[in-house]
Amino acid sequence: MPAVNRKSILTLSVASLLAGAADARSAMEFNRDIRPILTSHCTSCHGGVKSAGGVSFVYREKALGKGKSGAAIIVPGKPEESEIMARVVSKDPEEVMPKPEHGPPLKPAEIERLRQWIAEGAVWSEHWSLVPPVAAAVPEVQDKTWSRVDWDAFIKARLEAGGLNPSPEAGAAEWLRRVSLDLTGLPPSLEDFQAWQKALAADPRAAREAVVDRLLASPAYGERWATVWLDLARYADTYGYEKDPHRDIWPWRDWVIRALNADMPFDQFTIKQLAGDELPDATSDDLLATAFHRNTQNNTEGGTNDEEFRAVAIVDRVNTTWTTWQATTFGCVQCHAHPYDPYPHADYYKFMSFFDSSEDADLDNDFPRFPVAAKMEDGGPLAALWKESRELRRALNDEGAAMAGKDASWQILKPLSAKASGGTLTIGDGGRVTAGGTLPVGVVHTLEAAAVPGLTALRLRIFPDKDDPLSWPERASVLSHLTLSSVAADGRREEVKIKEVIADYLAGPFDPQESLDGGPGGFGSYPAQSGGRWCVVVLEKPLAAAEGGKLEIAMKQGAVSNANQQACTLRNFTWETSTSPAWTSWLAAPERAEKWARLGEVKAAISRMPATSVPVMLERSAPAARDTRVWVRGNRLTKSDAVQPGVPERLSPPETPGRMSRLDMARWLVGGRNPLTSRVLANRLWAEMFGRGIVETLEDFGSSGALPTHPELLDFLAVRLAGAQGWSMKKHLREIALSATYAQTCRTTAEAVARDPGNALLARGPRQRLSAEMMRDHALKVSGLLSGKMGGPPVYPPQPAGVWNSVYSGESWKTSEGEDRYRRGVYTYVKRTSGYPGFLSFDAPARDLCSARRLPTNTPLQALVTLNDPAYLEMAAALAERVEKDGGTPLEQITRACRLITLGDPPAELTGALSRLYVATLEDARARQAAGGKSDTTPERAAMILVANTLLNTDLALNR
Amino acid sequence: MIEHPLLNPTRRHFLRDCSLGLAGLWLAGQGGAHAASAAAGGVLKKDAAHPWRPETGHFPARAKRVIYLHMAGSPSQLDLFDYKPELEKLDGKDCPQSVLAGKQFAFIQGVPKMLGTQFPFKQHGQSGQWISDRLPHLAGCADELCVVRSMYTDQFNHGPAQLLMHTGSQSPGHASFGAWSTYGLGSENDNLPGFIVLTSGGKNPDAGKSVWGSGYLPSVYQGVQCRSAGEPVLFLQDPPGVDRAARRRSLDALAEINAATASTVGDPETVTRMAQYEMAFRMQLHAAEAFDLTKEPAEVHELYGTQPGKESFANNCLLARRLAERGVRFIQLFDWGWDSHGAGQSEALNHGFKGKCESVDKACAALLTDLRRRGLLEDTLVIWGGEFGRTPMRENRQGQEMAFIGRDHNPGAFTLWMAGGGVKAGTSYGATDEIGYQAAVDKVSVADFHATTLALLGFDHMKFNYPINGVPMRLSNVTKPGSKVVRGLMA
Repeated sequence: MPAVNRKSILTLSVASLLAGAADARSAMEFNRDIRPILTSHCTSCHGGVKSAGGVSFVYREKALGKGKSGAAIIVPGKPEESEIMARVVSKDPEEVMPKPEHGPPLKPAEIERLRQWIAEGAVWSEHWSLVPPVAAAVPEVQDKTWSRVDWDAFIKARLEAGGLNPSPEAGAAEWLRRVSLDLTGLPPSLEDFQAWQKALAADPRAAREAVVDRLLASPAYGERWATVWLDLARYADTYGYEKDPHRDIWPWRDWVIRALNADMPFDQFTIKQLAGDELPDATSDDLLATAFHRNTQNNTEGGTNDEEFRAVAIVDRVNTTWTTWQATTFGCVQCHAHPYDPYPHADYYKFMSFFDSSEDADLDNDFPRFPVAAKMEDGGPLAALWKESRELRRALNDEGAAMAGKDASWQILKPLSAKASGGTLTIGDGGRVTAGGTLPVGVVHTLEAAAVPGLTALRLRIFPDKDDPLSWPERASVLSHLTLSSVAADGRREEVKIKEVIADYLAGPFDPQESLDGGPGGFGSYPAQSGGRWCVVVLEKPLAAAEGGKLEIAMKQGAVSNANQQACTLRNFTWETSTSPAWTSWLAAPERAEKWARLGEVKAAISRMPATSVPVMLERSAPAARDTRVWVRGNRLTKSDAVQPGVPERLSPPETPGRMSRLDMARWLVGGRNPLTSRVLANRLWAEMFGRGIVETLEDFGSSGALPTHPELLDFLAVRLAGAQGWSMKKHLREIALSATYAQTCRTTAEAVARDPGNALLARGPRQRLSAEMMRDHALKVSGLLSGKMGGPPVYPPQPAGVWNSVYSGESWKTSEGEDRYRRGVYTYVKRTSGYPGFLSFDAPARDLCSARRLPTNTPLQALVTLNDPAYLEMAAALAERVEKDGGTPLEQITRACRLITLGDPPAELTGALSRLYVATLEDARARQAAGGKSDTTPERAAMILVANTLLNTDLALNR
Repeated sequence: MIEHPLLNPTRRHFLRDCSLGLAGLWLAGQGGAHAASAAAGGVLKKDAAHPWRPETGHFPARAKRVIYLHMAGSPSQLDLFDYKPELEKLDGKDCPQSVLAGKQFAFIQGVPKMLGTQFPFKQHGQSGQWISDRLPHLAGCADELCVVRSMYTDQFNHGPAQLLMHTGSQSPGHASFGAWSTYGLGSENDNLPGFIVLTSGGKNPDAGKSVWGSGYLPSVYQGVQCRSAGEPVLFLQDPPGVDRAARRRSLDALAEINAATASTVGDPETVTRMAQYEMAFRMQLHAAEAFDLTKEPAEVHELYGTQPGKESFANNCLLARRLAERGVRFIQLFDWGWDSHGAGQSEALNHGFKGKCESVDKACAALLTDLRRRGLLEDTLVIWGGEFGRTPMRENRQGQEMAFIGRDHNPGAFTLWMAGGGVKAGTSYGATDEIGYQAAVDKVSVADFHATTLALLGFDHMKFNYPINGVPMRLSNVTKPGSKVVRGLMA
């Protein structure tokens, strides 16, 4: 889905301001002059989705071709022969384009631009963001003294071209507050300010560098920047959807904070999160990192189709990957070719294929999960044990599967009778048993056959309901409990002991051995099946059956899929028998017993280590890989051609041949040939520091997104970030924080605002409202309440009763005690269906889906939060106590409180207005006391609390 | 707007003068938007400091406000409004393959049985509208209703279908009907949000808060969800120890400080913020008063069946009237629990459906009666309906007969009624096929419904748009050309 936004409209005006009206004599530039005309007037009918009359303006070859009418659409050099010109100037309502009911006609200037462009040869260029970035030389500027970093010149040159001057340097307090909040999300302390002032007097440059380095090294840095990533990753502490139960995925949130604090290069940061499980020698952290894509919602509402919501989750993974790394509205391509950008329909499914064969399947237990050790030092050993247990289990099974292939003695078992405890069974040709009727959960199929003397193993083959792969996946089939009995001619029955159940391959949440215990799990595909499966049941010892004896096979099917709605029954199967003695001797081999014993030890060791089980990405084994197909019109129920994993042709796929893995895809994203990733990241970091991106639509670098205000600067930054800076976000932010552009004051005039309301040209410094989390953290820090405790399970700061209306989950908001009450906002519990009210009011997203940008709003409901929320009152009370503790007159106390925000001497209006408020409130409180009114606080404290509450609501406090 | 006596001259002066000078980001932004789509018509100029200032549309409005009663989950039109004698004859018979071919259902599998109407129907009022015995009170208002029996949609799951009904698009991120209305018309009450959402039935609608979101429109136009029990708006009450006078003094100090900041820093957002704090102050007073049902006389409680302090659809209807009286532009009610699959007793047609109908029948009728006698119905558009219809087949999950009686989702046909501002009262519009499966005569799409309701509010739906990424977005969905105003619904 394209993330639409209101702010991009600003960009249209600024972009035209920047581009200027193209001089009639200068050459036309396709991306600047022509593409916007096509995108706004033509491509909704003549684009990637619809190409009415066989005409499309998304691909060059089509635009320069012929329409269905046979007319040449665009003839380079010959506007008079180009049908497009005839159509846009036509006065005939039947002929004119756009059709009057579809939109307004082209303006004369637009027609002129088209004409000139065709006359000049109709030179087509790729959309800007698809051309790899190249660092241009830093431009020449008139005033060479202004720049502090080389790229400041790009900003200055643009200002000079527009006849504008940059703003003066921000004062010491303004800059320190801004850079502290931008880099760490916390305001500076008075001590920080005093130290900075002292250093500034000695050596301004060194002083600035020291401040920025200190902030980047602070652990608070990771906590602040994690929020940006958590919005993209749609991190939440619950599953989402109707029931929205708890999910333990906070260790991943802590991993993000640690990775950011360690300044993990962004290419590594990317690879680990998208494909850490596929890295050779993956560590505990590598596996944990993959929880990025397990932040998708999981639907546990009764009756919801597991496969449907697995599909929703992988679609979300595709869209989130494209928004986060490529700023591309790839979601459009799910249903049809992209309307504006060059991505054919099948590209979506090629890319989806990277995510289609993961183990997770919308199961209620969030399978698969990985134990993240509670103690950091246990991480390595625990991951090693976990890996060993998986490998051992696989080896044990695969040896058996290979044996089954070598066994030449398999014979079809033709049952004498077949009965189901609910429903009907029919025995067909070749021993094929098919089921009909109700087949409820827990149904038992009982088959009777002539006993096979010397029987050592049985093979169950499950067949699909329909042979057409386009109709897959189908309802699951799981053999939950298998019992064999030998029935002698005289009716004596004896249980035939089964030693092992070997599956064709291991996949899904159940172990085939579970077919031998009484639980609902066991051999089969779960929660849905695609194609046939088989398993071998190996007997403890060869069957000693007498003449006339029978074998009874009882098959219980207790598994339920689709959130407890659909019975996973056996509906179409055969049994085969083997008398090969190899099975018995193989079972008895001491190496096998040792492996089983070792597996038991490993599992026991794992369970002894304290850990949190976190959902992670794990790939199904090759034979279990899903068959990804194109969904016709985006509907998963109508499948067509099978596709191989791959990335769009227009984005320079890797040249190495062979099937691409998820790991290859992750490497491609951060590889040198991808034109988008470095730009998208540079733009995001820029936007956090300046309040708007060089490309304002952080989520869309396509032709429907905004154009960059400073394209050369963006490319310069992108090349430096991925090159010289080695994908270091800290190095990149350091340069921004030390730039002259960033150092400007935000103080401005009405004229300047009118000229550039969004500050696109950066003729002044940034001024941003605090983000939702910063709003809380700032007030906690100023009031002295903030806890520095890092990491761990989410916390429950005070919120109004009744906000959590968890009808089904039975969970409740238990307000945290002690320091957990005052933790940073990043640790506040994120419930998808009921976000923390104080954060939602300040534009925090619900975290249902990837969110690339918070649009800042300014509403009365925000005022109600910071004025009246008891949490803010508690902070005001703490601030009042804090300033009272140091004594002095009320004015001195008020001034101290103000300094926590202004750092320098507070303006007279601030202290004056607050002092008058103090006096009036104090008089009032005293009068009330004199009249016999009761209060928990002294009149002085009550007045100071209101002063503190007011101070925390000033525009000075709410902004950075 | 109430000017507080303590309002100091400095602030008043500042707000008056500076809000003109520093008119905020939007005006400047709108300039660009205007230039981008001027020829397409009607982009509005909005003032960020006064986003809810009343405005007028392209032509005189027949309705000044909307009360939209959404029955989330979608009630069965076949058991309430769309009387189908033919279907009764088919009751219990296997559904013919021709009906099933090419159709997709949420739950029906295999060959379901046809299911006749479960309740007796009668004609009511002068107009002779067919209404079943489930809605006796509403039947008494038959002559006020304009019943549209030929609605259809293209979404058959709740979330997307609700989004389509409320935002014109099945995917999240688009502006809701209420947001468009307040963006276009502002609000007539400066002391309450212009777009208020109330929910009942224990849950929010399936599509979540996106159904009252502002999408690409400025976020002040998003619906404000209020609670019908307890504090109507979170953090509305002054905290303990802070009384009204203290809060006023505190806000005066704040205004003085912020005015100084605005002068020295020059950020237009500061000016907007000052206005928002003032509105918050007024909202505290007025919202509490507007939501206080205890002031209503016993006769009114009798009429609606309301009990103050209880969260119910009836209470929300009475609140809707109180909010309408106070000039709130768009009042959106959601009542959850209409998804009559027959999968559980609480929603089954032969069980819980009865109670569900009772919980809305009296209150809906009371709302119409009350609005009428107060002279508000003439310019209040009342809308009632779900997000799609229900099948004439009985639901059979996993191909099995279920314990309770229910119907699956049916995008092909549903019924919606409107009353009041500018709609043709006592009318039935359109018809479905003989079994009530597909809209057949005078079909009305969701986009047509939006085009028509916007027309009642004074807007040409084609011109009432907002450009995003070069596309003039509109409520009647730019990707669905051919949507039309249905004149036959208009008085």
